[in-house]
Amino acid sequence: MKHRHSIAIVVSFVLLLGFTAIAFWIIPDNDFSARENRALQTLPRFDKDKLFSGELSSAYNDYFADQFVARDVLVTLKGTLELLSGKGENNGILLGDRGQLAKRLFATARIGKDAAEDSDIIDSEHLKNAADGINRASENVDVPFVVFLTGRTADVASSAFLYPNHASDAMLETLRQNVAEDVNYLDLVPTYRERYESGEYVYYRTDHHWTTLGAYYAYCDILKAFGMENDIIPTEKFQKEIVSTNFYGTFAAASGFHFVPPDSVELWLFGNEEEFLVTADGHTLDGGFYNRRHLSGNDKYSVFLDGTHDVVTVTKKDGQDRPTLAIFKDSFANSVAPFLAQHFDLVLYNLSSPRTDYTDVTTWSRACRADAALVLYTLGNVIETDKMNRLR
Amino acid sequence: MVFSSLIFLFAYLPAVLLIYFIVPRKGKNLALFLVSLFFYAWGEPIYVLLMLVSTTLAYLFGLLIGTYREEKPRRAKIFTALSVCVSLSFLLFFKYYNFFAQNLSRLPTINLPTIAGLALPIGISFYTFQIISYTVDVYRGDCAAQRNYINFGAYVTLFPQLIAGPIVRYTEIDEQLTSRRENVDDFAAGILRFVVGLAKKVLIGDALAAGFVYFQDSGAVQPTVVGAWLTVILYSLHLYYDFSGYSDMAIGLGRMFGFHFPENFNYPYISKSITEFWRRWHISLSSWFREYVYIPLGGNRVGTFKRYRNLAVVWLLTGFWHGADWNFVLWGVYFAVILILERAFLLKFLENSPRVIGHLYSLFLIGVGFLIFSHSDLGAALATFLALFGVGIDSFATSVALYTLIRMVPLILVSSIGATPIPKRIWERIQIRHPRLQSATVILCLALFAVCVAYLVDSTFSPFEYTQF
Repeated sequence: MKHRHSIAIVVSFVLLLGFTAIAFWIIPDNDFSARENRALQTLPRFDKDKLFSGELSSAYNDYFADQFVARDVLVTLKGTLELLSGKGENNGILLGDRGQLAKRLFATARIGKDAAEDSDIIDSEHLKNAADGINRASENVDVPFVVFLTGRTADVASSAFLYPNHASDAMLETLRQNVAEDVNYLDLVPTYRERYESGEYVYYRTDHHWTTLGAYYAYCDILKAFGMENDIIPTEKFQKEIVSTNFYGTFAAASGFHFVPPDSVELWLFGNEEEFLVTADGHTLDGGFYNRRHLSGNDKYSVFLDGTHDVVTVTKKDGQDRPTLAIFKDSFANSVAPFLAQHFDLVLYNLSSPRTDYTDVTTWSRACRADAALVLYTLGNVIETDKMNRLR
Repeated sequence: MVFSSLIFLFAYLPAVLLIYFIVPRKGKNLALFLVSLFFYAWGEPIYVLLMLVSTTLAYLFGLLIGTYREEKPRRAKIFTALSVCVSLSFLLFFKYYNFFAQNLSRLPTINLPTIAGLALPIGISFYTFQIISYTVDVYRGDCAAQRNYINFGAYVTLFPQLIAGPIVRYTEIDEQLTSRRENVDDFAAGILRFVVGLAKKVLIGDALAAGFVYFQDSGAVQPTVVGAWLTVILYSLHLYYDFSGYSDMAIGLGRMFGFHFPENFNYPYISKSITEFWRRWHISLSSWFREYVYIPLGGNRVGTFKRYRNLAVVWLLTGFWHGADWNFVLWGVYFAVILILERAFLLKFLENSPRVIGHLYSLFLIGVGFLIFSHSDLGAALATFLALFGVGIDSFATSVALYTLIRMVPLILVSSIGATPIPKRIWERIQIRHPRLQSATVILCLALFAVCVAYLVDSTFSPFEYTQF
C-alpha cells in the first residue's frame, strides 16, 4: 500500500469514528421507536449495584445500539444484504410472494427443560400435552365449550413461500389425533389455507394477525360450532370502512423489509356500535370496540379493543339480558369480538397475561357466569408457551 | 467490552486513540495501562483488582529474579517457582476450583463445597500465561527484568490482546514496550486488519453461529444425517472465523499503537495432518506450551517413550486450559492420541498419499474434535457423532433442514474459500496488475466497516414483544 493510501485510510477512518461518536452524543435520544413500536433504551443511570452486577454495561450496550445514528437506515441495509445473500429471510422473517412476510423461527421444542431459541422444530410431546390440556378443560367446563386454534401466517400463507410446510401439517395432525373426539375443536387451518390460496385477503402480509375478513370467517365458524348458524350476519350487512392503507406490522418491523407493500386495515361496522359498553381492566373504553388513536401509530392492529388488556367485557348499554360468552384468548380474538358481541355479552380473558393466570377456564367461566366458553388461541402461542398444556 | 460492539467502536476506541496520541511519548504506556484497566473493569469491575494483584506480584518477583539471577541462581530459581505458583494458583482457583470440588466430592470421604458465586474472570487464562512467560524469560536470561511498573503493567493488561490473545511472549515485545514508533503506515495497516477481523467475526462468524445453533438444536429433537454434518461443519467454520477474526482485530489494534504482535492463525483448515493443524491454529498458545512445557520436559531430545509422554502431558494441559470440564480433558486426550499416532507412523503414511487424503483426514478429525469441544454434555456429542453415520437418526434429512441448507450454500462457500489463502492471493495479484485499484482499498475498507456496523446495530434489534398477547 502506498503512503498516500495509508493517509487516506487513517484520515477517513478517524473522521468516521470521530464524527459518528460526536453525532451520537449531539443528536437527541428517542425514547420510543415508531417503526419498531417499542421503548428504546435511554441513557442508563449510574448505579453501584448495577455496575457490579454487569447490568450497567449491558444497558450501555443497548443504549448505543438503540440510539445509534441513522439506525433505521442501517437496519434496512442489513435486511437488504441478508436478502441479497440468498437467505430469503432476515431475523427469522421469511419474504414470500407478493410481499407476504411470515415468521419462521420461534422458541420451542423443549429440550430437557430449556426451550430452544430460534428453532423451527415442533416438539410433538409438547403438542400432546397441549391436547391433554384441551381435553381436560373440555371435560371440566360445564357450559358449551369450543376450542379454536388459529393458524400462524406460516401455516396459512404457506403457498407464498418455498419454505416447506411439512412441520406445519405434522403439527395439525398431531393435535387432530390427540384432541378427544367429543371436544368441539375447530381445525380450520386448511380452510384458511384454501382461502389464502384463492387470493382472499385473510391474513395481513406484514403483520402476524388475521385481517378483518379473516376474523369474520372465524366468527361464522364459531357461531356454527355453537349451533347458531342461522344467526350469522351476512357480510353485505356490514359497512366496510378502510381506516388505514399504510399498515406495517410486526413482521415488517422485525425484518426491516419495508419495501413490501403496506397492509390496509378495515373496520366492519354494523351500525349499532354505539349501543355497546366496552370495558378493559375496569375502565370504559371511550371508542367502544375501536380505539382509532392507534391508527396514527405503527401498531395499527391495536385499533381493535384498544390492544392488550387482561380482561375486556362487552355488554349492551341498555342492559339487555343476553347470554354471556367467556373467551380465553390472545390478540387474534380482538378483531373477532365486535362480531360475536352482536350475539353475546362477552368477557375476554387474556391467556397470555403476564399478571394473571387464566388457564383454569372452568373456574373463570363460572366466575363470570358464562353460558358458553371459547378458547381462541394461535398455534404460535400453543407451541411457544405452555398455556394450553395447563388448561383445566 | 468486546471489540465487536458499538460502544467499543464509537466511544471507547475514539477516546483511547485521542488520549494516546495527545499524550507525550513518556506517558503513552501509562495511558495504555489505564485505558486497558478501564477496558477490563467495564466487564469485570471486581476481578480487575485480581488482575492488578497478579500483575504487581509478578512485577516484584521479576525484580527479585533479575537481581539474584547472576549471583545467587538458587534463590532466583526459588522466586521463579514462587511466582509461577502464585500465578497458577489464581488461575487454578478461579477457573478450576468448582470443577475439582464437584468431581472430588464424588469420592467417598472427600467433601469439598462448591462456591456458587465463583465466576471465571475474563481473560485470566491469557494474562496468566503472559505473566508466566515473563517470569521464565527473565529467569532464563532471555530478557532483563522490567524495572518500570507502568511498562510491565501495560504489557500484561494491553487491551487488544488481554481477553483472547494472541498470547504475546515478553521477549517478543520487550523492545517495543519502550522504543516503538507509531506511524501512518502501521496505523493504516492496523485499521485494515481490524476491519477485516471485524467482518470475519460479525458478517461471517455470527451467521455461521446462527446456522450451527439452528442445526444443533433441531438435531436434539430430530436427529438427521444432514443436520449432524452441518452442525460439525458450521461449528468448525464458525470457530475459525470467530477466533481468527478476534485475533485479527487484536493484531490490528496493536498495530495502530505501533505494536507488532505475533500471528495467531495461518489458514489452519488447509492442513494435511493434525500436526500441521496445530502449527496453524492458535499458534501463540501452541508455541507457549512448546516453549514452557514441552521443551522443559525434554521435548524431542529424549527417548521414544518420554517423547510420547511429553506430548500427552502437553495436550492434556492444552485441553484443560480451554475450560474446566470433562469434554475439554477428553478433547486434549483426543489430540494427544492423534498426534502420537502421527509421530509414530501416520505422518509418513500421509506424506506418501495423495494430498486430498491428508486434507479429508485432517478436516474430519478437526471437526470431530470441535464436536467434543463444543459439548459439555458428552452424551449429546456422541449422539451427534453417531448421527453423522446414520446411527440413531430420525431421518436422513428433514425438508426444513434441506431448505435451510440450500439457503446457507452461499455462506458456506464464501466461508470455506475464505479460510484458504486464495482470496488473499487473488487480491494481491489484482493489486499488482492494476495498481490504480489500490485506491479502492480505502473505499472497500470503509464500506466493509459500515456494513459491519449495520449488522451490529441490528443484532440487538428486538421487535415488539406483543406477539405473545
